[in-house]
Amino acid sequence: MREFGRSVLIALVMGVITLSSAPGDAGAEGEIALIPSEIELTRVGQTHQVLVEEKEGALWKGDVSEQAAFHSSDPAIATIDDTGQVRAVANGETTITAQVDGQTTTSVVRVKGADQPFNWSFRNHIQPILYKKGCSTGACHGAAAGKNGFKLSLRGYDFEADHLAITREADGRRVSLTHPEDSLILLKPTAQIAHEGGERFDQDSESYQMLLEWIQDGAPGASEEDPRITHLEILPKQVMLSENSNQQMIVQAVFTDGSLRDVTEWAKFDTTDESVAVVDDVGRVSVLAPGSTCITVWYSSKVTSADVLVPRSESVSPEVYASEDRKNFIDDHVLAKLESLQIAPTTEAEDATFIRRVYLDTLGILPDVEEVKRFLRSGNPNKRAALIERVLERPEFVDYWSYKWSDLLLVSSRNLKEAKELNSFYRFIRESVEENKPWDRFVSEIITASGSTLENGAAGFFKMHQETTDLTETTSQAFLGMSITCARCHNHPLEKWTQDDYYGMANLLARVKLKNGKDGGTEVIANPFGNILHPSKARPLPPKPLDGEPISLDASIDRRQILADWLTSPENPYFTRAIVNRVWKNFMGRGLVEPEDDLRLTNPSSNQPLMDALADNLAKHKFDLKHLMRTIMNSAAYQRSSAPSDPSQPDNKNYSQYIMRRLPAEVILDAYAQATGVPTKFAGYPEGARALQLRDSEVASYFLNAFGRPERKQTCACERTEDANIAQTLHIANGDTLNDKLRAETSIVQAVISEDADNSKSVEDLFLRALSRYPTEGEREKALAVLSEAVSGAEGEELKTRKREAMEDLAWAVMSSKEFLFNH
Amino acid sequence: MFRIDAEKKVHFCDGMSRRDFLHAGSMGLAGLTMSSYYAMKAEGRTSNEDKNAIFLFLVGGPSQLDTFDMKPDAPAEIRGPYKPIKTNSPDIQISEIFPRTAKHADKFSIVRSMHHKAAGVHDTGHQMMQTGRLFLNGLEQPNAGCVLGYLRGGKNDMPPHVMMPEPIGPTGGNMPHGQSAGFLGKAYDPFVLNADPSAPDFKVPDLLPPEYISSVRIDRRKNLRSLVDESVEYFESNLDAKLLDESFNQAYTLMSSATAREAFDLTQEPEKLREKYGMNKFGQSCLLSRRLIERGVRFCTVNMFETVFNEITWDIHGSAPFSPIECYSDLIGPMFDKGYSSLLEDLKDRGLLESTMVVATGEFGRTPKINPAGGRDHWPQVWSILAAGGGVQGGRVIGKTDEIGAYPIERPVLPNELVASVYHSLGIDLETELPSPGSRPVPVVDFGVEPIWELF
Repeated sequence: MREFGRSVLIALVMGVITLSSAPGDAGAEGEIALIPSEIELTRVGQTHQVLVEEKEGALWKGDVSEQAAFHSSDPAIATIDDTGQVRAVANGETTITAQVDGQTTTSVVRVKGADQPFNWSFRNHIQPILYKKGCSTGACHGAAAGKNGFKLSLRGYDFEADHLAITREADGRRVSLTHPEDSLILLKPTAQIAHEGGERFDQDSESYQMLLEWIQDGAPGASEEDPRITHLEILPKQVMLSENSNQQMIVQAVFTDGSLRDVTEWAKFDTTDESVAVVDDVGRVSVLAPGSTCITVWYSSKVTSADVLVPRSESVSPEVYASEDRKNFIDDHVLAKLESLQIAPTTEAEDATFIRRVYLDTLGILPDVEEVKRFLRSGNPNKRAALIERVLERPEFVDYWSYKWSDLLLVSSRNLKEAKELNSFYRFIRESVEENKPWDRFVSEIITASGSTLENGAAGFFKMHQETTDLTETTSQAFLGMSITCARCHNHPLEKWTQDDYYGMANLLARVKLKNGKDGGTEVIANPFGNILHPSKARPLPPKPLDGEPISLDASIDRRQILADWLTSPENPYFTRAIVNRVWKNFMGRGLVEPEDDLRLTNPSSNQPLMDALADNLAKHKFDLKHLMRTIMNSAAYQRSSAPSDPSQPDNKNYSQYIMRRLPAEVILDAYAQATGVPTKFAGYPEGARALQLRDSEVASYFLNAFGRPERKQTCACERTEDANIAQTLHIANGDTLNDKLRAETSIVQAVISEDADNSKSVEDLFLRALSRYPTEGEREKALAVLSEAVSGAEGEELKTRKREAMEDLAWAVMSSKEFLFNH
Repeated sequence: MFRIDAEKKVHFCDGMSRRDFLHAGSMGLAGLTMSSYYAMKAEGRTSNEDKNAIFLFLVGGPSQLDTFDMKPDAPAEIRGPYKPIKTNSPDIQISEIFPRTAKHADKFSIVRSMHHKAAGVHDTGHQMMQTGRLFLNGLEQPNAGCVLGYLRGGKNDMPPHVMMPEPIGPTGGNMPHGQSAGFLGKAYDPFVLNADPSAPDFKVPDLLPPEYISSVRIDRRKNLRSLVDESVEYFESNLDAKLLDESFNQAYTLMSSATAREAFDLTQEPEKLREKYGMNKFGQSCLLSRRLIERGVRFCTVNMFETVFNEITWDIHGSAPFSPIECYSDLIGPMFDKGYSSLLEDLKDRGLLESTMVVATGEFGRTPKINPAGGRDHWPQVWSILAAGGGVQGGRVIGKTDEIGAYPIERPVLPNELVASVYHSLGIDLETELPSPGSRPVPVVDFGVEPIWELF
């Protein structure tokens, strides 16, 4: 929310200046504006890029700087070159004018304090150069072991150590105060002497000049008085571009002393969807195809991002969006995004598809034939909403979601070897799902669990994760959707989390003690003492949730309660978004953030307002997950067909169509059992148990392993795979899972050879059971032809065999089809 | 729609954007799904680079002192029961248990200073020898053959990486063995034989239809499946659906392709040659590897054993359920000797040795001093490995151990250097980055790790 608010603010602050364009102007169609509209420079020679941007209403529409002629009203104050680079000359104020096809626009440049002495700052200027030029990256001197005896902290977060390494180590040859030009730190990266990393910049570059001047100033280290960067601004914050166009981005660092500096050259850029647009090293975006992407930027441990929207070239009538069905707020946000990209929403899914979809997404089973028939027959205009309500209350709901949270919490005899403990943990999850326990309470109960693992199943979490670091990282990954593992050893390179944040958080989990309990269980005890030490500081840090307030090291409370309170606070943006995204992905096929459990700042959501609205809504509804599911399933977005509105341009990101996906391993296996009528046998489970009822991911099953059941070793959504591979298809074709079920005496195929068999009805039943729809006329005809052809000229047993085989083959074909194996 | 990552530039000293993109792809997002090798093939992403590798994994961990690093002058409790013999390479002597291998020392080189620093259990060595890394934080690194499959795809309708006869099962550590595609995703897992190629009725499970499904029925099934799929033609616009179809096509190709069918048919080999390789799982797997490489498979992994429990293996602790030292001369030694020497000879005869690197290694060495049970225990501090073919020069000895074969005293070599050598031989740039689910860029081997240049 804060992020969003800020972008609006910037748009306002930038105060677009437009002058009327000449009549008959053939150039830029809309208005143009210079960004930024005001620039303050504080040093002679300081530069700042300006951009001439097309504009329509509040929307930035593309970079026309290349066509612009620039002019400074007073070059004695600041100059501007052909590329739009402003350079301070002396104190005063000047107006920059840009002209494009007769239109003009201006910005004000103020130069202040140019007469004050200026020194480059190790913290704010030198370290960023060393990173941008590659020196402090993981592949070079930023590696854990450094490179060729020279070690820097990764991306330059450790100012003291790096300053020491640069100015003191290697006999002081890296920096020569007496002969600055002979400093290794200048000779090496400019390849004046042999450098394994090659030339990183040349002697004419600004980077070289800055380093040189810094050394001439005595190569001072970071000081406590240094202004700190409060945040980064990226301009333009949101821009709509056309295919094959370019856009230069500007990155500004805003400092605690109120100053602002153009750091574009030393910022690191990235794009979240490379098929839409790429960005080069200097922040120039090149658009490749319609869609949306985020340009993320990193500078001195701060990150921000800009949205790039590229609408499709064939425009869609506004009427399409206006007339589209809107069931709830989800549809408003989805349609807004679709309209901005000029993607037309596709049609509504058919009833048969819908009932199958709801069953598979919510319960992991196929709908019962009678239920399908009833649903298809019903003329009730509210039948879809009613179906959703019924499904949410079915017992299979508990199986499906208990399985899902068991994946998340790694329930496996590999991790909980004592079967009683495993069952107890599973029971805790199951009972929580059964009572639709609010998600915040569920998580809180886990984080603060104490007592016997047999009586309080949630305590098994601490049995599984005994190392404080493992516990910290698992907690963050599972409940915040964030990997903070990097910060165990160094500041997180893609996030704001520092190593201090990590060990503060870890210390909240450092006081858990285990001892053997009764009956093979384990007692989880909140220990009154114990700390985890920060590895380089060699002392414990005050316990502190990642960005929460620290508590005293001496506080005599169960520290886990502090963590649980912070985690589950409705104000914690990560917690709510993490669960929203997991549930959203389950139904919509693609997370608003992908991968679904990678919610770092440099990986923004594909529809931020929607994510915010869903998170707010869930928090308002007290973390009632069924409410969230209901909201999603009732949206028009969920109920769309999976057929793209434009077959030549399928959309698998913005929800203009339902995103089809292969069914999970367990669901396919259960669907085989259900559709053939022949249950699967699992060792140690009663007859008829379904794969989704397995408590332990270690229960042997070739099928489940081949189709990508997660091993539950590591908290990562990536453990589950739905990629098809040849072992799977060979197994479907030739293996004993589907074939044996079809051949079984009890298989539904058997019906076709009974005395009163009606071939047409058998075919119809098969389609209804497996695909939840009636066969098309063509399918029915062809199927019947195959059945009769198979028996021609045969009689008695021979006829039965042939007919059964033909029916088996038809059933096989239906159950190996994409329509069967996919939820669509 | 497929985005061709192979065309993306790889940054040295960077790599963020590539990783993030690949990462997204590997997660199987609709529309971003990384194509599997056969889908890649359809997109022309494969390479016809004819470089292959055969990885002979001597599961259990052969004793360096009884195989390729003999210390005849050491005391009896060190040097063990076996004597060194000369080879056709003047600088190399090996154990008498390998008389046939001794005739091919001009084709292979020995690295006598392989060692690792992790816990001395089988599983850690399995991970490092096959992936170049120890698994940390639950992240499964991809097997080198899977990386090859990921980067190059398959050719001639054959899967790029075949593992035989079985994957490594439990060896005590309850850890993964580095034999899967790990974080690359199941689409790149090896094609596992899961059968004994020396069995008289050997066939690959699921490769061929069961007998009760006649070819007429297979055609009927195929036709009916297309019929059902016709009603959802628009599924073709979905990459995952396309991938499934490609997998079915590939399965059908394998099932029906004479080449593929024939590739796995060992009965086509002359009986004499089969005998020469040794009529056991290892020998016939070596032979099958040669057949497969010849027919388009790029990487073969042969696990000499599936476990170290209740089976005679290299794991000679001396007492049950492990193996006695004598098994080296009675059973294991000859088994390896026949299989390995025949493989080198056969590859050489067929002109395949130049393009096919053959590695033979265990997961660690064994204690220099014979234990009270008459065996030797785990010893990751040093062991010997063999490398041949694929640009590797024969007849060399790299590294040296102390007088009791306990520690490297010259040119210590780590497992990742061997894996780097395999990549080098295969023509894979060591800075090629892989899509890791963590938040670090993962190059095929850690930055700075180099091939064992002395081999080439």
